[in-house]
Amino acid sequence: MLSVSNLVTEFDSVKALNGISFQAKPGLITTVIGANGAGKSTLLRTISGLEKPTTGSIKWFDQELTNKSVESIVRSGIAQVPEGHAVISQLSVAENIELGGLFHRRSFRGDLAIATREVYELFPILYERRNEAAGSLSGGERQMLAISRALVSRPKLLLLDEPSLGLAPMISAQIISIVNNLCRATGLTVLLVEQNANTALAVADHGILLALGKVVADLPAKEMIADSALRAAYLGY
Amino acid sequence: MSNGITPVRLKYKVIGRRSTLLSILLFVFFILLSKQFDAYNQAQLANIATLLIAVFSITLLTGASGQISLGQGAIMAVGGYGSALLVTRLGLSMWLAFILAIFISALFGLFLGLAAARLSGPYLAGTTLVMALAIPSLAVRFETFFSGDVGLSVDYGMPPTWLSNLVGEISIEQWSLYVVLPFTAVALFAVLNLSNTRTGRTWRAVRDNEVSAALSGINIARTKVIVFVCASGLAGLAGALYGFRGLVAPSVYPTDLSLTLLTAAVIGGLRSIGGAIFGTFAIVFLPDLIEKITVKLAVPETVGNYLPALTIGILLLLTVILNPRGVAGALEHIRHRKKH
Amino acid sequence: MNSFLTAFFSGTAQGAIYALVSLGLVLVWRGAGVVNFAQMGQAMFTTYIASQLIQHNYSYWMAFVIALVSGAVLGAIVDLGFMRPLTSRKNSKLLNSQSMRTTIPVIASLGILGVLKALAGIFWAGEERGFPSPVAPNAIKIGDTNLAITGFDLFVIGVVFLTLVLTTIFFTRTGMGLAMRASALNPEVTRLSGIKVGSVRTLGWAISGTASSLAGLLVTPRTNLSPNTLDLLLIVGFTAAVVGGLSSLMGSVLGGFILGYVISFVNVYSAPENVFIAILVFLLLALFIRPQGILGSKEVRRV
Repeated sequence: MLSVSNLVTEFDSVKALNGISFQAKPGLITTVIGANGAGKSTLLRTISGLEKPTTGSIKWFDQELTNKSVESIVRSGIAQVPEGHAVISQLSVAENIELGGLFHRRSFRGDLAIATREVYELFPILYERRNEAAGSLSGGERQMLAISRALVSRPKLLLLDEPSLGLAPMISAQIISIVNNLCRATGLTVLLVEQNANTALAVADHGILLALGKVVADLPAKEMIADSALRAAYLGY
Repeated sequence: MSNGITPVRLKYKVIGRRSTLLSILLFVFFILLSKQFDAYNQAQLANIATLLIAVFSITLLTGASGQISLGQGAIMAVGGYGSALLVTRLGLSMWLAFILAIFISALFGLFLGLAAARLSGPYLAGTTLVMALAIPSLAVRFETFFSGDVGLSVDYGMPPTWLSNLVGEISIEQWSLYVVLPFTAVALFAVLNLSNTRTGRTWRAVRDNEVSAALSGINIARTKVIVFVCASGLAGLAGALYGFRGLVAPSVYPTDLSLTLLTAAVIGGLRSIGGAIFGTFAIVFLPDLIEKITVKLAVPETVGNYLPALTIGILLLLTVILNPRGVAGALEHIRHRKKH
Repeated sequence: MNSFLTAFFSGTAQGAIYALVSLGLVLVWRGAGVVNFAQMGQAMFTTYIASQLIQHNYSYWMAFVIALVSGAVLGAIVDLGFMRPLTSRKNSKLLNSQSMRTTIPVIASLGILGVLKALAGIFWAGEERGFPSPVAPNAIKIGDTNLAITGFDLFVIGVVFLTLVLTTIFFTRTGMGLAMRASALNPEVTRLSGIKVGSVRTLGWAISGTASSLAGLLVTPRTNLSPNTLDLLLIVGFTAAVVGGLSSLMGSVLGGFILGYVISFVNVYSAPENVFIAILVFLLLALFIRPQGILGSKEVRRV
């Protein structure tokens, strides 16, 4: 499980994260929601190693992740899909996916081939367009590709940063539902940062509500949906 | 005073006064120093005074406006050949030739600036490096006009009688210093004024962030061209003075010269005028110092020949990696720490 | 007709060498954002190593291989020892300026060039020395007639062709090649895929070092070896890279051959003194007409 304790991340003495603590239990979908500027993306970037925290600790089971490099965090089995469907436009779809599995120690060809096939089964449209440049894909397809690249390394924890950003609601719902099914089927732990609280809470097991860099609510998803006062105060609906 | 105009004028007055004072100080400093030196070192001092003008061009070009040129030596060649041709072919006086050399190289700088305005970073560096090789080769290509590898023989002439009557006998080395120094002082004056007024601020804005500068209404292309014109004028003047030590030929302005000038500016501090002075002293006296040491330690000649180049290269690397702001920057850092 | 063929074949051989130099420059430019002006200094240094070995009776091929390996090692040293510390100086205000960020590594590479030249002079004395070629530099004969191409030209073309084929296979078919391309295009996403971008970059410097070592070995039989002989090669290689496209590996090779032909034809049909000027004119034309190079992409500046 992922344990975050007292995480503080600063940018030029502005505290984007002001002492965040929570846990993401294994095999479940935990979603981090909150208004713009609440610190959701900073939280994910800190966990993934792209930002270094000032104080606090991040642990994956017993492993201390706090000041490790991005690459070594990924190699520990924590895959990340940054916001903005990050793919490398000049490479082909197949190459982008291959990139995700490159670092595998064990005879990766064997595993990589199987994992790649599984990922294509999950997102058949990517298989159709596997030799095209990633830049020619639609927004939704690029997001699928970004997730595929993360999945092909068979991670134990998946960090998703605003997968619905810039996508039509139907497509983002489709993507999130695929992730949900995957989680249930394989026991993948998912930490989902979402702007769209509705969609996120619908699939999540647990919800963390952030405001101004602090955790204001840490509840099972069903309770968070039911708490209308909370929703009105922080999520505006 | 409540209206906005007067304070600005006052400020210009202050800057003008300050830079006049500093220029005179520099002049006096060099003269006093030369009195302590033997003939060889006096000639070296004259070299310093000459090259300093070229190093100032780098302080402006790279330090103030962030454009890297590896071809200042080539622009020196333009000034050198320009003035030498004026004297040998048209019989003009040396002094007039020096002044005209400024304009010739400034004009050259105009064209260079127009080309360079579209380039940045490594593109500009590479292009100026190619230029540094191509321009001296023109002298060989058009041998009849430029006298090819043999070059043009020119010199500073004899000191005028009224001066030697005034200060006593003047050796050749002293005379070379007296010829160069006024130009160095004026160059310092010009550079100080350019740096400390709005022109300098404009250049620094372009250096630090072109997008922001453009958004503040600065015409980027025009600014870059103006810097090139000023820097080229300075370098050309230096080249003219440098050539009149005795010879204007391709071998006098090799590619290494451009790199040496850049090294002087970097070691002293790219953005600092004081740094340029320090760096030029270093670049001229260090090889002599090293030679003295190698002779004393009986180092074999094959090694000794290359030690100056090695030392200067290492200094450049150390500066860039450990202390990019050069000696001037380090001093400023220490002063800053002491304050707090 | 004969002078045309001579110009053509000599241009092909020269172009092959320029292609190597250009390739090395573009590799480092794409991988590290630096134009390595020290590149041919590295090549000069490793060629001296080979020359020393040959003078001490090692076989040409043994010296050849050792030179290539030294090239890789030297390239890695330049990255690890100088370029990495340079770009990781967090407290340097000088690097905050946009234009300085590209300028400072250029100045550093010039410093490295100066040091390498001085070291070569100290270790091996700066006087010019010859360098052997494994193939006699005579014109190839068919029956009694001399063809306009020498055996050495063929050797050069063959070696470079082989290198280019291997390089292409490396970049398009291997995992490491993919990692290198990805690191150059988008370092952040590549790191998020678990790849050590820093190590990949050092490998790029090493490969570039090997390519330039090879260029040095192939060019010095004709130009002789001294600390300064390879300077011209750098200028031409740079121009070739700009003409072909600083952001494109294929382009760098294309540019190399184009420049090989330009110089060769200027040499044969015009005059050798015009070569420098021709290079400058070509460079300026390229920068004005198509600054991103023939095969380069529109982003001229690397952000």
